[in-house]
Order: sequence, then structure tokens, then C-alpha cells
Amino acid sequence: MKRVIEGTAPCGAERSRWSRLACGVAALLATLLLGGVLTPCLADAPPAPDPAGTATGDRNSTLDAGGNPFVVPAPPDPSAPDYAQKKKDYDDYQAQLAKEPLAGKLADHVGHLRVSTNFSWTLLTGYLVLFMQAGFALLTCGLVRKKNAAHLMMLNFAAYVFAFLAYYAVGYAFQFGAVAINAAPANLGGTPTLNHFLIGNGLWGFLGGRGFFLSGPGYDAGSLCLTLFEVVFMETAGYIIVGAICERITFWAFLVAELCMGAIIYPVFGCWVWGGGWLSQIGTTWNLGHGYVDFAGSTVVHAVGGFAAMALAIILGPRLGKYGSDGKVRVFPAHNLAFVVTGTFILLFGWMGFNPGSTLGASDLRISVIAVNTNLAAVAGSAAAMLLWYWMFGKPDITMACNGMLAGLVAITAPCAFVSPTSAVVIGILAGVLVCLGVLFNDRVVKIDDPCGAISVHGYCGWLGAVCVGIFADGTYGSGWNGVGAASYLGHAGQGVTGLIHGDSRQFLTQLLGATICAVWAFGATYGVFWAVNKVKSIRVSPEVELEGLDMPEFGATSYPEDAPLTAAA
Amino acid sequence: MKRVDAVIRQENLERVRECLTDIGVEGLTAMEVIGYGRQKGHTETYRGCEYRVDFHSKLLITIIARDDHVEQILDAILEGARTGMIGDGKIFVSSVEEVVRIRTGEIGKAAV
Repeated sequence: MKRVIEGTAPCGAERSRWSRLACGVAALLATLLLGGVLTPCLADAPPAPDPAGTATGDRNSTLDAGGNPFVVPAPPDPSAPDYAQKKKDYDDYQAQLAKEPLAGKLADHVGHLRVSTNFSWTLLTGYLVLFMQAGFALLTCGLVRKKNAAHLMMLNFAAYVFAFLAYYAVGYAFQFGAVAINAAPANLGGTPTLNHFLIGNGLWGFLGGRGFFLSGPGYDAGSLCLTLFEVVFMETAGYIIVGAICERITFWAFLVAELCMGAIIYPVFGCWVWGGGWLSQIGTTWNLGHGYVDFAGSTVVHAVGGFAAMALAIILGPRLGKYGSDGKVRVFPAHNLAFVVTGTFILLFGWMGFNPGSTLGASDLRISVIAVNTNLAAVAGSAAAMLLWYWMFGKPDITMACNGMLAGLVAITAPCAFVSPTSAVVIGILAGVLVCLGVLFNDRVVKIDDPCGAISVHGYCGWLGAVCVGIFADGTYGSGWNGVGAASYLGHAGQGVTGLIHGDSRQFLTQLLGATICAVWAFGATYGVFWAVNKVKSIRVSPEVELEGLDMPEFGATSYPEDAPLTAAA
Repeated sequence: MKRVDAVIRQENLERVRECLTDIGVEGLTAMEVIGYGRQKGHTETYRGCEYRVDFHSKLLITIIARDDHVEQILDAILEGARTGMIGDGKIFVSSVEEVVRIRTGEIGKAAV
């Protein structure tokens, strides 16, 4: 018997508490400094913000289906060529109004009621999306090993906390600081104070510049309603990355990732698509359909999260023991399938806020179509995944059934408002198949270790969802989207966003372009930043910590303390 | 016949099992156990209170072997379970009086 006695390996290196604290404070300060430097540079420019909410929603908010106000608005620009005619129309209208004061008061009240309905709709659906945080926490916690349960929960929790702060400081301003220029949310009163691009201008905006620290132009009832709704969407992208980086990332590196997500990675692409930025305007500037269309965020939210997750997963490398020396893939089974299923149901419920809420108003009755389409894609995706997996491996897999539902939900998120229910079913099936193939591809071919399937569910299916807009959109909704074709589109009055099947090939190309730009941006920006961070200090825990499980070494707490009895301090 | 009990790290079970299969061991019993030895615990804080984490989770594997097979089994376990760091575990060898296979009723060496 060999009895060679070797020297013991050195114990884990001590981490200086002060250096960790310094890193965290430095990252937060950098974000705040960025906003702090920018805020004084941008003095309050007219129009005035409305923090009390008393000046939002009046007769000018009462719009018809085409988005034209019922009442004749005051012409805003004295230098415009048609100013004289518009001024005359306005003066005539005012004279008429003087004879019917009740009509004016009613118009004000109706406009206010409309905006009030839309405020409550937007906020309440936003709260549903907030609840998705709990769903994702349960889902991901259940999918990993027991020794990392507390780690997953803390990651999901801290993601919400720190990404929110980064978004409050600079993220919202970057994303929506210029929304009033090209994409004013009329349903919420138009948020007229958010009217300046920090980088770019007009139809070529790249970064917004109003509302830093939600102060000044951002301290406005309409703007803050939009803020609440949009921050929970950003949080969704923030927690998606948890699914791919868990079980081996250090907590400090994770906080840096969340600050980056909330401050830069998410808001930049979000500005380009939803903040009135350049990608939304290529329908006008490059004659590309209605510009890039993403209704509720298949790419803005999910693909950004999914491809950022992919970049981080590649830099981190696979979990210890995941890929054997012979290339065999090793299984790390979910430790709590009850959490996985419950979490998926909560996510489905929250998605009822995610998609229908993106109309930003209950006055837009397409919300019912959106709600049904969302559910149809969810169940179709789950059915497709279950049946495909059953056919391939002989038993339906519970985690793939859940991932299939989520894939369907992710894929329908962009097209939900523009397609028919049957198209929603087809999109769901496509996503269910794609997520199964994606999981196998990541594991077996490219060997990217993705514990919760985040890259497949959110990255690949997010890209698919945006492209599906360009295939299945049937023109029944979205007339005048991104400022294109309000009067008529493709020769029809009232024609909305249309896809390949219904005759608009330019929209299909636009969707391919935009979705791919999203993947390149999210992957590239994340990879660039974290390749550098990893060179300075490794973002991965030591092998001893990883084998023990991150619960105790990182947080001094375990989810299941009965497994390891504790004794009182000596 | 001998009984070989080995307390090993949980993550080394696969490697130990492969090494044992290579030398012809066809069965073993494994239990999750907690224990401590020279791999001391440490102090943690929970909501402001200190506590000790003294016990580590390990695996106890048990193999019943013929006397002439024991040396090979010990070598195999050492090869699979050794990492060189404190906490690798220990192996205990004891004598076994009788072994019976329940299905057939065989006793002694035929039952091992």
C-alpha cells in the first residue's frame, strides 16, 4: 500500500475586508459621480415638471384612435411654416370654447380620467412584473444544488437592490431622458420634460440626458410612473444573468455586474429601441418598415440579459466537474423541483403585467389580445418542449417543461401585440423547440455551462421573438408605430406593424438587424467590461469555496442548517 | 472477511467508485455523515451573534471484502480520495464474522 505523506495544501487566501469594501464603494461612487457630474450640467429646461401630478392629463390628453387630440392644441412653434393657419384654427376654437365652458371642463376631466386609468394600469402591471422577482428567485434556487441555495437567493435579492440604484442614478435618464422627442408616451401625459439626448439628436439618438437621480425633469408624476414600470423591466434583465453565473461567481463581481446592467448595458439598448433612439427611427431614416419593433422587450429585456449572461458564463468558465476530462457532461440535478414549478407559475402570472402592461394604458384595448397571446405562447412552448423531450429522451423533463413555458413567454414578448392567437401558438412551439435545442447545444457543442438555461431561454428565444415580429405581424395593430405610416402603410389606411407572411419583407430584415445588434451589444459590452475586471481580480470563487458551496463562505449562512449542526460560540 | 469503512469528501465519490470498479469491487454502501477531525471548524456570525461551525459533511462508504482483496481496495480508495489537503478523511478496517446474501441464502465468501 502506498503510504506517501505529502505536504498539505495551503488554506484559502485571506481576503482583506477593507479591499472588498473599497471596491464596492468605488463602484457605487463611480455610478453616482457619473450622474452627479451630469446633473448640474443639465439645468431645468422648459416645460416644467409636475411632481404633484395636478397638471398631467387634461383636455389635450383626450386622443382619438389616430393619436390626434380631440381639442385643437396651441401651435407650439412660431417659426413653423403652417403656424399662421394653426394659430387661426386655435383662436377660432378658443372663441367657440368661450361659448361652451362646460365642454372645456368636461374635456379636461375626461383627459385626466384617461390618464388616471393609464397611470393605475401601468403602475399595477408594473407591480406584477416586480413580483416576477420572487418567481425567478424560486426558479433558479430550485435548479441548483442545495449547498448553493442561499447564494442564489441572495444573488436574486441583491440584483434587485443594486441594479435599481444604478438605474435611479443614471440608467433611467440614459434610457428615457429623450423619450418625449420621438416616442412620447401619450397614455401617460406625454412626459414632456424628458426631451434631451446626451449623445445624438433628432432621429439619431444614442443616449438620453434628462432625469438623472430622478430629479428636476425626472421628478414628474408622469415620468415617475414610467420610471416604475421601466425599472422593473430592467430588473428582469438584471436577474436573468443570475441563471448562468450562479454557483461560482463572487458576490462583489456580481454587484459590479448588476451596477453595470442597471447603469449602462440595459439602458443603452433600451434607449435605442424604446427611448426614441436611432433603432426605433430607422423606419423613417432608412425606410425600413416601422423601424425596429419590440413591443414588450424580447430583445430589450430578455436577449440583453441572455447574451450578457453568455458573456459572463464564458469568462467564468464551467462549474468544477461539469465537463469531465473525457468531455462527458456531468449532471447537477435541481435540488428542489417544487421551487422550480412554483417559480415558473409566478413568472407566468407576472408576465400578465409584463406584456399587457406595455401598452402603458388600459385605454388601449389591445390589452386583451396581448394577454391571451401571451398565455397561448406560454402553454404552446411548454407543450412543445415536453413532447420533444419525451420523444428524444423517453420521459418528459419537469425542468424543460418549465423552461419551455418561459421560452414561449420570452418569444411572444416582442410580437404579442401584433399577431393573431394562432400565430402566438406557432411562436410558442418554435420557442419550445429552440430552447430544447439551445440547452443541448450549450451543454454538448459549445460547452458553455448554464445552470438554469438562461442563455437558451432568454438569449436565443429573445432573438427569435424579435424576428417573429417580422414574420407573423398581421397589421391589425400598431398603425403609426415609431412615427411611420400613421395615415396609411403599404397602401392601407390604419395598417399597423406587418411581417413577412403578410407582405412586409423590410420589417423582417429590420427585425433581424435589430435583434442581432442587441446580441452583439449585450455580449460585447459585457464581455469587454468583465474580461478587464477578471484580469484585475478573478470574478470566480476559489475551488475550495466552490466545492463546499457558496452559502457559508460567501454569506456565513446556509439555507438548510439542519444539515450541519451548529454549536454555540465557545 | 474484512469490512473497510472510509470517511471521504463528498465530491470524491465518483473518483473513488471508478477506482474501486477498476479493481473489481462490485458493490458498496454509502451514507452521508457529519464529523470533524483535524479539519477544524470556524466561527461565523448570524444576525450579530457568533456561532461555531465544527462539523463537516462527509461520506462514509462501506465495502465488505475478502482478506486478500483488502490491500488493493485500500490503494484504490487512497488514489480516488486523496487531495492532499486536511480533511481528506480516514479508512478503518475491521473483521466481519459472517456475510449472507438475502436473495439466495449464500453465506461466507460466496456472498461477498
